[in-house]
Amino acid sequence: MTMIAGIGFTAPWLLLGLLALPVLWLLLRAIPPAPKRQPFPAVTLLLGLKDDESLSDRTPWWLLLLRLLAVAAAIIGLAGPVLNPATEDTGGSGPLLIVMDASWGGAAGWKQTSAQAGVQLDEAGRAERPVAVLRLSAPEPLQFRAASGWQRQLAGLVPLPWQPGPELLAQALEAIGAAEGGFDTVWFSDGLDYPGREGLIEALGQRGGIEVYEQPLPVLGLLPASYTGSAIELTVQRSRAGPAQEISVVAQGKDPGGTERSLASLPLRFADGARTASAELSLPSELRARLSRFEVRGVTSAGAVALTDDSLRRREVALVSSESADEGLALLSPLHYLRQALAPSAELLEGALRDLLPANPDVIVLADVARLAPAQEEAVIEWVENGGLLLRFAGPRLAASDTARAGEEPLMPVRLRIGGRSIGGAMSWGEPKTLAPFGEGSPFYGLEVPQEVSISSQVVAQPDPELAQRVIAELADGTPLVTRKTLGQGQVVLFHVTANAEWSSLPLSGLFVSMLERLAVSSSAAQPKSEDLEGTTWTPVEVLDGFGRLEAAETLPGVAGPDLVAAPAGPELRPGVYDGGRRMLARNVLRPGDELMAARWPASVAVSGYGAPQELPLGGALLTLALGLLALDVLGTLAVSGLLGRARTAALAAALGLAALVPAQELRAQEATAPSQAQTQEDLRAAAIASELVLAHVLTGDAQVDRVAAAGLRGLTDTLFFRTSVEPAAPAGVDLERDELAFYPLLYWPVTRDQPLPSSEAYAKLNTYLRSGGMILFDTRDADLAASGATSPAARRLQQIALPLDIPPLEVVPEDHVLTRAFYLLQAFPGRHGRGPVWVEAAPPDAEQAEGIPFRNLNDGVTPVVIGGNDWAAAWAVDENGRPLLPVGRGYAGERQRELAFRFGVNLVMHVLTGNYKSDQVHVPALLDRLGQ
Amino acid sequence: MTRPAASDAATGLRHRAEAEASALPPLLVQARHLAGSVLMGEHGRRRAGTGDDFWQYRPAQAGDSRRMIDHRRSAMGDVQYVREREWQIAQTVHLWVDTGASMRFASTPKLPQKSDRARLLGLAAAVLMVQGGERVGLTGGTLPPRRGNVQILRLAEALSDDDAEDYAPPGHRALIPHARALFISDFLGPYEPVEQALSKAAARGVCGVLLQVLDPAEEAFPFAGRTLFQSIAGGVTHETLKASALQERYLDRLAERRDALERLCREAGWRFGQHHTGDPAQAALMWLYHALERTAP
Repeated sequence: MTMIAGIGFTAPWLLLGLLALPVLWLLLRAIPPAPKRQPFPAVTLLLGLKDDESLSDRTPWWLLLLRLLAVAAAIIGLAGPVLNPATEDTGGSGPLLIVMDASWGGAAGWKQTSAQAGVQLDEAGRAERPVAVLRLSAPEPLQFRAASGWQRQLAGLVPLPWQPGPELLAQALEAIGAAEGGFDTVWFSDGLDYPGREGLIEALGQRGGIEVYEQPLPVLGLLPASYTGSAIELTVQRSRAGPAQEISVVAQGKDPGGTERSLASLPLRFADGARTASAELSLPSELRARLSRFEVRGVTSAGAVALTDDSLRRREVALVSSESADEGLALLSPLHYLRQALAPSAELLEGALRDLLPANPDVIVLADVARLAPAQEEAVIEWVENGGLLLRFAGPRLAASDTARAGEEPLMPVRLRIGGRSIGGAMSWGEPKTLAPFGEGSPFYGLEVPQEVSISSQVVAQPDPELAQRVIAELADGTPLVTRKTLGQGQVVLFHVTANAEWSSLPLSGLFVSMLERLAVSSSAAQPKSEDLEGTTWTPVEVLDGFGRLEAAETLPGVAGPDLVAAPAGPELRPGVYDGGRRMLARNVLRPGDELMAARWPASVAVSGYGAPQELPLGGALLTLALGLLALDVLGTLAVSGLLGRARTAALAAALGLAALVPAQELRAQEATAPSQAQTQEDLRAAAIASELVLAHVLTGDAQVDRVAAAGLRGLTDTLFFRTSVEPAAPAGVDLERDELAFYPLLYWPVTRDQPLPSSEAYAKLNTYLRSGGMILFDTRDADLAASGATSPAARRLQQIALPLDIPPLEVVPEDHVLTRAFYLLQAFPGRHGRGPVWVEAAPPDAEQAEGIPFRNLNDGVTPVVIGGNDWAAAWAVDENGRPLLPVGRGYAGERQRELAFRFGVNLVMHVLTGNYKSDQVHVPALLDRLGQ
Repeated sequence: MTRPAASDAATGLRHRAEAEASALPPLLVQARHLAGSVLMGEHGRRRAGTGDDFWQYRPAQAGDSRRMIDHRRSAMGDVQYVREREWQIAQTVHLWVDTGASMRFASTPKLPQKSDRARLLGLAAAVLMVQGGERVGLTGGTLPPRRGNVQILRLAEALSDDDAEDYAPPGHRALIPHARALFISDFLGPYEPVEQALSKAAARGVCGVLLQVLDPAEEAFPFAGRTLFQSIAGGVTHETLKASALQERYLDRLAERRDALERLCREAGWRFGQHHTGDPAQAALMWLYHALERTAP
C-alpha cells in the first residue's frame, strides 16, 4: 500500500489518470452544449437576425470545473484511498486462525470485537493469507479460505448465550486437530475463564503463535433474582475486582396497558475491590406480579438478564363457598372480604368447584364448605398433592357438620371438636379473645398484631400430638386460630373463623390481607431443586440470544427437569422461559451460586486490548461525491441550455440525482413491498363490494341453476330498486371455498341433488357468517314434488349440508312473523311453486301476545336461515331487458303469483336489513299512550 | 364466389370512407354549435325587395299589378294595400383557410392547433352564411360557391385536407366579381403572395376579411438559451445562441408584418383581424360575422 499525505492507496497507479484532466478541460471547453430544437412557425421572421453580442459558444467555466471535479473524485475514489491504514506489518504469512469465545460475556462489546476481527481480516486479505474462523461457543470444522469471504460472514457471527462447555471444547480441539500444517492464531477472548481453556491454548500453541485480544472492561453478570419474604434480592457479579462502580438494575414488565416498560430501577454499588454487589428491591405485589425480567442497564448481554418465572405471576385464586344461588346481602357473603383482599393482587375465579378445578388454580378457597362430593374430594386431594394451596374457612356449616370429627381428614389440617365455642356473647362468659403474637416458625412471623382484632366464635381443634406444629397462629389463650399441614407438594390451611365479619373482626383488619399475602407468597414454591423436577420435561417457550433479547423458541426440543436447574447453559439448554404444563420456569444464563472468573493467560501469550485506529476506506464516499457532482452537472447543463425553466425536466433531473444517492438497501426494501400488491387488489375488490349492498347466491356448480339464481337476484335487485329505498348493486355469485361472505347480507342458496359438501373451512366461514347476522335463504326448488320439503333428494342433500351449520330450532313461518309485514302484508310466500311451507327460526317459548297487539312480542334477532322449496329465483328471474325469464302459473293468476314472489323477496331483504324494526313499530302507539299523549 | 369478394371490396371502401369521414362530424358539430350562438342579430337588407319575410304594408300605387294587392289587409278598410317583402339577396362568399404545415402548431398541449381553430372559424362562418342564404365556396375553383346544407358538408371535407408545405399561398383564382372573401391564415409565410392575392381580388371588386390566427407563443416569444428554431415541415431553420436576446427584434418584425397586412387591407378595402388560439373562438366568430356584414359591397 502506498502512502500519500497520510492516506494509503490500494491502486496508486490509477492516480496517473489525474494527469489527463487538463486534456479533458480543453476537450470539454471546445464542445458547447447541444442546442434545443424548437418547432416554430414564425421562424421566417427570425431569418437574418444575428446574435448581436459575441456570445460564448463554449461551456461556462463553472460547469467545466464541476465536471473536472467529478472526474477527479472518480479517479481518486477508484484508486482505493484508505484513511488510517494499518501500517505495521503483522509479519505473518501462513494461514491464520481467528478464534472467538463468542459467549454472552463478549456480547456487550461485540461491536468492537466484530470491528477488530474485521481489521484482522482486512490485513489478512491484503497479505493474501487464508483465514479460518472458529467460534468456541459453536465450533465447526476449520475452513481456510480467502479473507474476503469471511468478511461477508462477519456480520452473521454473533455471540451465543452460553460459555464453551467441555463438549464444545472437545469439538473445537477435534476441529483444530483435523487442520493440516501450522497456522497463527488470533484469539478474541471475552475475558471469562472456563475449564479446559489451557488445553486449547496448548493445542493452538503447537501450531504457531497466539495473539490474544481481550475486552478491557470486566464482564458483568446478573444472578437469578431470589425472594426473601416481601423483597426481591438482586446480585450482580463482575469478573475482575476493580475500583468502586455504580450500576443500576432495571425491572422490566408489562404496564396495565400490556406494553413492556421498565417498572422499577435499583441502584447497585460495587465496593472498591469487591466482586459482587447486591441489593433488595421492594415492590407492591401488584407491580411484582407484572415483572418479566431484570437487566443491568446499558449492558446488552444474556448474562446481564435475569428472567422471572411465574413465582412472581399473579396467582389464580378460586373462590368457592357453600352459599346457594339466591342473592343475599353482600356484606354477609362469606366471600366478600376475600374478594376485597385478593382482587388487587390475584386473578379471582368464582363458580362451582367442578368447573374451577380444570382451570388448575394456584389457590382454592373453601369458605364454610363442610364436605365435598367424594369424586371432587379425590380431585382436590390430587390437586393439593401437586402443589396447590387449599385455604379453608370455618363457619356455621362446618361447625354443625361432623367433618374431621372421628379422624383426621386429608383436606383438614386438624381434627375438630363438636360445635366450636363462642366467647364474649350475650350468653357466654368472658371477653372476646385477641391474637397472640406470631411465633417464629409461622409464615406470619413479623406481622404486627393489631389490638382491635377480636375473635368471638371459632371452631376448636382436638388436642393432638401433631397439633402444636401445625398451628401457625393462635389466640392469646393459646387456642389455635390458623392451622396448616402439608399434603404432597401442597398444603391445606384452615382459618378457624369465618371469612366474613360474623365470628371475628379479623377480616376487617389489614392483618387479614397481610396474612393472605404471606400464605399466597409462600405457597408458590421457591426455585425448585433438581430432585423435585426428576422425570419432568420442559419445553422452551422463549429463549434468549447472546445479546439478552428474547426470541420465540419455535421448534427447539424439550429439556429434562433436572438439567434445567442444574446443568450449565449450552446449545441443548438455552437460557429462556420453559413451560412445564402447570407452571413456567425461567432458566437464566447464570445459576444461583455461579461465579465469574477472569481469564488468565500464560506468559507466553501476548494479550492486547482493542484500540488500533480503524481503517476507513474513502473510495465509496469519493465515488458518491462524483455521482453527486454529475447530478449537479445535469442541472447545470440544463440551466445553460435554458431547459431548467421547465419544471418537469428539473424534477426529473433532481430525481435522477437523488436516485443515484439512495442506498441500494432502500431499493431492496421497495422491491420487497411489491408482492403485497396482489393483496391490495383483493382489498380493493372487497372495498367495492362493501361500499354497496350486494345480493349474492351460492354457486352450486350446476350451470343452469346458477344462471337462474343470478337472473332471479337480478330481478329482485331491480324490483327493490324500483319500489323501495334499498338500491342494491348487481348481484354476485359466491364461491363458498374462496370468497369472503361478510360483505353480503343475504345469501340465496339453491340446493341441488348432487351439490358437493362445503369444506370445513367453508363451514367455519358460514357459521361465522350466520352468527354475525347474515341470512341464508335455502331453496330446495321442489315444492311441486315434495310438499313437506323433507323427502326429495334436494331436501335430503340440504339436511346433509346443514348438519354442521349452527342453525337454531325452526318452525313454519307463524302468522305474526315479521316476514309477513316487513314491507308488504303477506300471508303466503309463493315462488314459482306456490304451496311449499317456509321455515324460519322458532319463536322463543315464552313469547307472549301483548294485550291489544295482534301479534306476539317475538325475539329480537333476524332469523339466520329461511328454508323453503318454492323456487323463488325462477319466479324472480328476468333477462337483461327486464322481461320474465320463466313462466309462472297461468294467465293473470300466474302474474299475481309472480308479484307475490317479488313481494316475498322485498319483505325478506327488508327483514334482513331492518331486523324487527317493523315489529317494534307497532309498539309506538302503546309507548305514546304511556307517555301520556 | 365473386359476390363475397365484391362485398369485401365494398366493405373495405366503406371502412375507409368512414375513417375519412370520422374527422368531419366533430368539426361540423363544433362549427354549427358555434354558429348557433351568433344567429341572432341583423338580418336581411332592411328595405323592401324580393324575399320571403314580411316587410311592410303600403297603399297600392299606380303601377302595382292587381295581383300584388293583399286582400286580407285591404278588406279591413277602403284603402287597398300591397304587402311588401324584405329585400333579400344572396351573396357569394369565398373562403380560404390556410392548410399549410405552419398552421399545425400549438405551443402547449392545452391549446388547439392554429389550423384547428382556423378551420373551425372558417366553417362556422360558412354555416352562418349558408343559414343566411348566402352561397359559400372555396377559392381557387376547388369548390365553387353553392348554397344549401350539403355545401357545408363539402366544405368540411375540403377543409380537412392538409398541405405538406410549410407556407401555402392564398388562393386567388376563380373569384367571382363583387363577391365577398374570407382569408384565414397566420400570414407568417412570404409576404408577396398575400399582396398579390389581395390586389387581384381588389381588381375584381372582391372585398373581404383577412383573419390572422396566431399562437400565444408566437406573440410572446418565450424562448431562451441556445435554440435551433425549425419550421413545422423542417424546411426553414434558424439557430441562435441566446434566444432571449432575439425577442425584442422578433416582436418588432411581427408588428411590422401586421402593419404591412393592415396597410394592404386598407388599400384594398378589406378588413384585417387578429385572433389568438388562447382566446375563445366565439369572440372571433362574432367579429368575423360583423366584419363580413360591413364589407358588403
